[in-house]
Amino acid sequence: MARIAKGDDDAFEILVSRHQTSVLNLIYRFIGDRTQAKDLSQEVFVRVWQAAKSSEPKAKFTTWIYKITTNLCLNEIKSASRRRWFLFHRSDEDSEKSIEETFSDGSPTAEDLLLSKERTRQISEALQSLPENQRMALILKRYDGLSYQEIAQIIGCSVSAVESLLVRAKRTLQQKLKNFEK
Amino acid sequence: MKCSKIQKKLSAYQDRELEPSEQEQVRNHLLSCRGCREQFAEFERVWENLGKLEETHPDPWFYPQIVRKIKEPGEHRLFPNLQWVFRLLPAPVIASVLLIIGILAGSYLGSILGRSDLFPFQSNPVSDSPGVLTSMRFFDPAPPGTLAEGYLRMVSYKGSESR
Repeated sequence: MARIAKGDDDAFEILVSRHQTSVLNLIYRFIGDRTQAKDLSQEVFVRVWQAAKSSEPKAKFTTWIYKITTNLCLNEIKSASRRRWFLFHRSDEDSEKSIEETFSDGSPTAEDLLLSKERTRQISEALQSLPENQRMALILKRYDGLSYQEIAQIIGCSVSAVESLLVRAKRTLQQKLKNFEK
Repeated sequence: MKCSKIQKKLSAYQDRELEPSEQEQVRNHLLSCRGCREQFAEFERVWENLGKLEETHPDPWFYPQIVRKIKEPGEHRLFPNLQWVFRLLPAPVIASVLLIIGILAGSYLGSILGRSDLFPFQSNPVSDSPGVLTSMRFFDPAPPGTLAEGYLRMVSYKGSESR
């Protein structure tokens, strides 16, 4: 971060390459739209670049960048609530395209691919249906393997609140994905 | 430990966030209690299903695009200098203000344009200058300067003379 603060482009490029996939996927899983996730994750790194010049992160870097990401996601959700339908609409378009491609391809595993796509869609929809804090806590735990302490710092709540968020999130998903295997 | 207490700790147990002694207690309870074991299996199934969600990868233009955004801030935004206004005020307020400004400006300009003293030529909307006439009547059945127009003028002249 000190090198980035001095305007070292190489250091910044290394930092981006190290964290781009995790930041991109955190946003993608939270929002459910690839294009928007890409734009927002780029915005995260723009903010990191700007913040590096003015302040040194007090927390662990990963926690700090996830906090920026989380705030950006929550702001985006608030401001984009009017056009929320668009996100699902877009992902539906994506899956429709894939279905067509699968069939036109004539591959013997077309049915499996189709089933797999449908499962992914169901999981994504179930995840998207969770309240924002539950969803973020769950993503940070499941995909990024963060501790309750780190999640609490990122979301800005207590450790016991994180525990409670995760219990509720898991129970909701348990209900929503009940018929998933059938 | 009672089942109700264990079930409250199942999520933290799954996430390995309990104290080692508690972790051990829950593990032992699960070995003997079928109900709690089933509940835990449900949580494990949810966790496993979440693992099926696909991962996305950044494209090769990811970093160059970040650099472009840093070097050209606000380029992709409409009215970059007024971003603070948009951040400060909610969109409906801005839309309402712009609508009121639009109506006021429209009515003011309309009243100015309606005044005939500002544009004297408006008293006779069709100018007499030949250029305007030519352009205005270009699509007439008999445009000015053509043989047909000459014939029509001749006929109308004769007609008016005979009266």
